[in-house]
Amino acid sequence: MLKIVACFKWVVDDADIRVDAGSNKLNLDRAAYKISPYDRNAIEEAVVLQEKHGGSVVAMTVAPPGAKPCLKDSLSRGPDSACFINDPCCADLEPSQTVEILARAISAKTDYDLIICGEGSGDIYAQQVGPALAEKLGIPCVTWVNKLSFNEDERRIIAERKLEDGIEVVSAPLPALVVVLPDINSPRIPTLKQVLGAAKKPVENVTPQDLGSIPSPRLLTTDVVAATMDRRRIKLAADADGIREAVNALLREGLVS
Amino acid sequence: MDFNLTEEHKLIRQSVQEFCDKYVCPIADAVDQEPRFPAETIKRLAEQDWLGIPYPVEYGGAGSDYLSYIIVLEELSRACATTGFTLECHTSLAEYPLFKFGTEEQKQKYLVPLCKGEMLGSFALTEPGAGTDAAAGTSSAVLDGNEWVLNGSKIFISNAPVAGVIVVFAMTDKSKGTKGISAFIVPAGTPGLQIGKHLNKMGIRGSLTAEVFLKDCRIPKENLLGGEGQGFKIAMMTLDGGRIGIAAQALGIAQAALDESIKYSKERVQFGKPIATLQAIQWMLANMATEVQASRFLTYHAAWCCDQGLPYSSQAAMAKLFASETASRQTDRAVQVHGGIGYIKGTKVERLYRDAKITEIYEGTSEVMRMVIAGGLLR
Repeated sequence: MLKIVACFKWVVDDADIRVDAGSNKLNLDRAAYKISPYDRNAIEEAVVLQEKHGGSVVAMTVAPPGAKPCLKDSLSRGPDSACFINDPCCADLEPSQTVEILARAISAKTDYDLIICGEGSGDIYAQQVGPALAEKLGIPCVTWVNKLSFNEDERRIIAERKLEDGIEVVSAPLPALVVVLPDINSPRIPTLKQVLGAAKKPVENVTPQDLGSIPSPRLLTTDVVAATMDRRRIKLAADADGIREAVNALLREGLVS
Repeated sequence: MDFNLTEEHKLIRQSVQEFCDKYVCPIADAVDQEPRFPAETIKRLAEQDWLGIPYPVEYGGAGSDYLSYIIVLEELSRACATTGFTLECHTSLAEYPLFKFGTEEQKQKYLVPLCKGEMLGSFALTEPGAGTDAAAGTSSAVLDGNEWVLNGSKIFISNAPVAGVIVVFAMTDKSKGTKGISAFIVPAGTPGLQIGKHLNKMGIRGSLTAEVFLKDCRIPKENLLGGEGQGFKIAMMTLDGGRIGIAAQALGIAQAALDESIKYSKERVQFGKPIATLQAIQWMLANMATEVQASRFLTYHAAWCCDQGLPYSSQAAMAKLFASETASRQTDRAVQVHGGIGYIKGTKVERLYRDAKITEIYEGTSEVMRMVIAGGLLR
């Protein structure tokens, strides 16, 4: 039996983002929202473990009230219930605030064995919430996980970590937090009965104020603009001189040394 | 008046789009060009609970509404019209008459495995000499003891080569015209039931369409569906609902034509700028979008009437008429937007152009749709 919390974020669908040609600002007027793709892997892994070992899965998110459609969407993917921490002030939280709110909610409301987070959010991809949440809760954290299992006898998780220089297998006692990589699983597509059944699953509504004051942001966002790639339009010949010229240009720019 | 879809309907659309991205789009060209029946996709449709969407859970269905079914058909057809139509034929033409007119025993025996996806269904009405004029059919059914003996031939029967059960229409009393037609449940493998060769179609080429031959085909007396002489009514009521399904298929095809045209016109550069900046192209796109949206409203409204228990025969005919002719017009425009590349095999709009035409023909031609609509007006 495992009591699992799967954290997810409701993010703008990047396919709908338009960039204003003049100002380079992002136009989100017609953008739809979706569960962050990386967090779908977290939800899926939680459900897979629950199907194998029993227990329960709570899908938890911090978002403004307008994110309500995320509840049925997440619940159609398998969790038993959802915890919706919502308030208008929860739009555009920075990771340190999200961590603080999640940590309080999990400590106060939820009895858990395992927390699963995605690799990073689909919008700002700061990759901070998972590790910082584990630190805040004082529990072991295993990141870059692409294979996860649970030893029922020892009540430990065994995780395969995909690192730059190889694979590392680690185990950790519960409670623990795991950050999963996208290739750990292929998230299921909700069946029609799962979609229709989502409405019948319980949702706990929590406001951050229920959990204490919302921490102040530590970052100041001054602007958000689209990344641009300015081409130099330099033509080089495909011969020794051209290659030499290309290498020299890269050296001058400090791009190679 | 609320034009918003429910959260469930939006999620259903999202799940079908995810499904299509993963399983349907990658093989759609191969299904068309080889051509081949997408058996692996149909198996997955069953896993998604999409093979009996509007029928009750106790009969193996998903217990959802007709609009959910229409949304699934629209999105599947947007990716692959063959896949959309295979589902439509199964759900609207085979399952509906069993659900509406079947006895409890018939439902348990045939509707449950159909809804669970254990087998596909088919519907055999059309004959070489009896298309729109169903009363001209010559297939016959004669009661011999405890068995009906069926003889005759059917043509253009979709899903027949892969069907586990076929709803067959035959004359039990030729002298009564349409009131002499009865419907029968004919399981695959019944001696005397032969499936002819797959017909080589212009579009929806992966869908299996064949002739069906009945030669002293004996079925149990209890396989009569509805009462004797009710066949014409069963067929017409079945086709009424089916027309909303074909409207959804046409809508999906037309939406795909619009999607492809928007994408291509932004990429294709002529005279130093994307062709989307040319008013000639913009007008085509504007007309396409307007007609696609109008098709969607007509189709969803017909499905809504069906869900509300309101009469929907005229609404279904209007939806099918407008959506199917929109699909033909807009796929033609889409090829025009693409220019030469749109005429080449392997370009999606070339496939859509061929797939669209049949929606003006099957389950009642555009001409029959106008007859149905006019009949409703002048009643």
